[in-house]
Amino acid sequence: MESEMAMRLIVGLALTIGILAFAGRRLLFLVKLARSGKPVTGRLSDPTARVQAETVEVLGQRKLLKWTIPGIAHVFAFWGFLVLGATILEVYGALFNPEFAIPVVGRWSLLGFAEDLFGLLVLVGIAIFAILRLTNKPEVKGRYSRFFGSHTTGAWLILFMIFNVVWTLFLYRAAQYNVSLYTGNDNFPFMNGGAFVTEWVASWLYPLGETANEWLEHIGIWLQIAVVLLFLLIVLHSKHLHIGAAPINVFTSRRPNALGPLLPIMYDGKPLNFEDPPDDALFGKGHIAEFTWKGYVDFMSCTECGRCQSQCPAWNTEKPLSPKLMIMNLRDTMFAQSEYLLAAKGKHPGLGEFDEAALASLSPEVRAEVERPFIGSREGSDHAAEDGYTPDGHRSSHADLPIIDEEALWNCTMCGACVNQCPVDIEHIDHFIDMRRNQVLIATDFPAELNGLFKNLENKGNPWGMNASDRNAWISEVDFEVSVFGANGEETIPDEVDYLFWVGCAGAFEDRAKRTTKNVAELLNIAGVNFMVLGDGETCTGDPARRAGNEFLFQMQAAQNVEVLNEIKAKKIVVTCPHCLNSLKREYPQLGGNYEVVHHSELLADLVKAGRLTPVNKIEQTVTYHDPCYLGRHNKIYSPPRELVAASAENAVEMERSGDKSFCCGAGGARMWMEEKIGSRINQNRGDEAIATGAKRIAVACPFCSVMLNDAVTSRQQEPGRAIGVEVVDISTLLLSASKS
Amino acid sequence: MKIAVCVKQVPDTWAEKKLKDGSGILDRESVEGVMNELDEYAVEEALKITEADGGGEVVVVSMGPERAGEAVRKALSMGADSGIHLVDDGLVGSDSVATSYALAKVLDGRGFDLIIFGSESTDARMSVVPAMVAERLGLAQLTFANKVEVSGGNVTIDRVTDNGLETITAATPAIVSVVEKINEPRYPSFKGIMAAKKKPVETLSAGDAGLDASQVGIAAAWSLVDSFAARPPKAAGVIVQDEGNGGVAIADFLSAQKLI
Repeated sequence: MESEMAMRLIVGLALTIGILAFAGRRLLFLVKLARSGKPVTGRLSDPTARVQAETVEVLGQRKLLKWTIPGIAHVFAFWGFLVLGATILEVYGALFNPEFAIPVVGRWSLLGFAEDLFGLLVLVGIAIFAILRLTNKPEVKGRYSRFFGSHTTGAWLILFMIFNVVWTLFLYRAAQYNVSLYTGNDNFPFMNGGAFVTEWVASWLYPLGETANEWLEHIGIWLQIAVVLLFLLIVLHSKHLHIGAAPINVFTSRRPNALGPLLPIMYDGKPLNFEDPPDDALFGKGHIAEFTWKGYVDFMSCTECGRCQSQCPAWNTEKPLSPKLMIMNLRDTMFAQSEYLLAAKGKHPGLGEFDEAALASLSPEVRAEVERPFIGSREGSDHAAEDGYTPDGHRSSHADLPIIDEEALWNCTMCGACVNQCPVDIEHIDHFIDMRRNQVLIATDFPAELNGLFKNLENKGNPWGMNASDRNAWISEVDFEVSVFGANGEETIPDEVDYLFWVGCAGAFEDRAKRTTKNVAELLNIAGVNFMVLGDGETCTGDPARRAGNEFLFQMQAAQNVEVLNEIKAKKIVVTCPHCLNSLKREYPQLGGNYEVVHHSELLADLVKAGRLTPVNKIEQTVTYHDPCYLGRHNKIYSPPRELVAASAENAVEMERSGDKSFCCGAGGARMWMEEKIGSRINQNRGDEAIATGAKRIAVACPFCSVMLNDAVTSRQQEPGRAIGVEVVDISTLLLSASKS
Repeated sequence: MKIAVCVKQVPDTWAEKKLKDGSGILDRESVEGVMNELDEYAVEEALKITEADGGGEVVVVSMGPERAGEAVRKALSMGADSGIHLVDDGLVGSDSVATSYALAKVLDGRGFDLIIFGSESTDARMSVVPAMVAERLGLAQLTFANKVEVSGGNVTIDRVTDNGLETITAATPAIVSVVEKINEPRYPSFKGIMAAKKKPVETLSAGDAGLDASQVGIAAAWSLVDSFAARPPKAAGVIVQDEGNGGVAIADFLSAQKLI
């Protein structure tokens, strides 16, 4: 007995020390790699919110539970992982002392019950995962499997390892239980009951006899330790690294989320001054070595679950961009160039320059990889339509081609579906915008259509290149008074004015949006809301420039607007465009502009609630409401537009993809001004979904959604025999027609 | 290869323009000044030629008031190496003859292999300055190019004419004017904009350029504004409600206008 215990200890410790040495080396490498990223500030501010996020998203698994079945399976696995931590303590205890039990609670039946229950639930969890993988095979479902491009073999290995953890656990526990039964000792801590699975397994092993069970206990313990340690080693070398990386990533993520405002370009912890930028400032990311440590932790956290991919408007319309594949590609690049990153220690100068000393220390292969162009055309490469990936996650390298496909980079509509879905809080959009910034500000290599957009914004202050003097044209088309700032010599907005009505470029120049402007003005007029417009004092908020990567132009536009708005002492602003809303409300505080900004849906819904607007004549046609990304996901305004629909129409139906799962119209991320050359059209995909609900009115709350969906519906109406009689209307149009008898 | 590109600042092409009260002179204060769009193509072509050549120098030349310096900076931010800005109150009101005289004076003797112009300015739309400068400098003129090739001391262009394309070759130095089909002008990178702030711009007065004051300015102009009037507002169009007779109504309208 003595010698058997000694052997148990020696074998157990030898295994542990041997494997931990490898694991420790890898862990050190990963920590150093993450720390070699460029600095980023503010990732630890507001610790309360961070602890809360950790509680809700990690312990509470809230984002995973957005998808019920996979979410529950993950809850089982995750909580099983936490609870089974106790069994690992027990198994190591048993190495040294056969009678070991965790202090205080160690012999409570409840603990034994919890351990066995979660052991069982982990098995249920991995069974669900296995079924999900079998029914979602990328080889069968192609790009419409969320696992397309994920490393499925690695995923099966993980499931197999988890299975091994559980069965070895029950093997050793059952044998230990039996030995306690035979000898009457207290070695198994839960002889008073609770460990129901252990007891059931033990009943099968009992007939083997005492000696066999003694040996099964030793072997079970060794197997358990070996499996757990191997699992640790595999985790550290695979996409399953998220076990360690994700909690850190969630803790240091942007709070409340990485939606809404984009972050300014930072230098030395402060927003970059474009007037006089320091020589070593970076303008976006043009190389993997220019990403921050948060970026690296993002890449390490990706579990290849593909929830982002399943929601992505680009991927779902057969374009190369998948947020998952993009992050995987960045991660693989980070590892492929890790030697350089570790040698340069964050001193990579960027702007096409390298840390020469670090470069000189590399092998020729790694050096070639480091010096390879980062972003550019991968035309003609294998699997170009899937960003170079095969279904099972192999990317054709094409060492002569750039790493990031510019096509995929410009496919992004910045709709935020990926960020919203990501269970580990990866900040996809921030990375994409940083790469776009490099393409525009440094490389000047971007879609030619944006030339016109930038010129129009620079010269005319609006994307369409219209004359500022025409901003008030809509006023002559309404039959009530509209006050224009400055018309009576005002220098600041008079106190009796309730709202500054920020009309926006679309609202002033684009026909469909102009109708919305006139409707909102009329509704405000009916409700007795005193509003004023800026007229030709308005310019574009800069949203399209910013999302196209032209941060310099955005900063100029925004600074000009903030100066005007602060000078006239604007306080409350109403807008009809969710993009204006996002800039004015969420981004201008970065430049010292703080205003109370509401979307017309919010203001009108309030006016209806207050009885100042009374729909008397509900429209009979069924209505379906399309959530604009920048109203919904980015700014969490979901119910006011629905309240307006309910107030204006007899019947409303929801599309399957609605609320925070709404599908983009295709115009976000400055895509409004770019051509859509690859795959099917995003707006058609969404328009068809809306038409399929049977609704005759598609309600929108954004000028760009209005144009895009109207195009989609029109193209269907024009098909022979398809006079479907569907109209795309702004929610204000619905309310106005319902308000007139 | 040393290339000069002549650029002009013009009032924003698409803006609504006003005349100064009671005069035939454009109210420049009321409109944004931009680099003449066609000159952007000229700058782009010059940059492309030097880039393909693996070296060389692009000098931007502009004649115009103080704020025309913005157009020079714009060209520098696109990638030109240096600028020359001819600015003098005595030049105000110069017509195309005077402009060609002034530009020729500035360009002469600086050793340019190629002088590139946009084919016209979007404000005056005369298209004659490149030809006049060529005449004054005694250089070959290759105008309205939609393709330019430089090799071995020769420049060859495809010249756009009403009847098709002509291919013309001349020995350098020569003068080329380009049309908008020739290329896609680059958008200045932020790096370019920053670098442009530090690039040299030589500011010349009429005296510095050795101009004869009697040949420039409004007094020396060979062309005169005889009369002027604001453009009348657009007449309301005819709206035909299509009640099955739309085609006929359109045909009637067109034949009434003697268009068909």
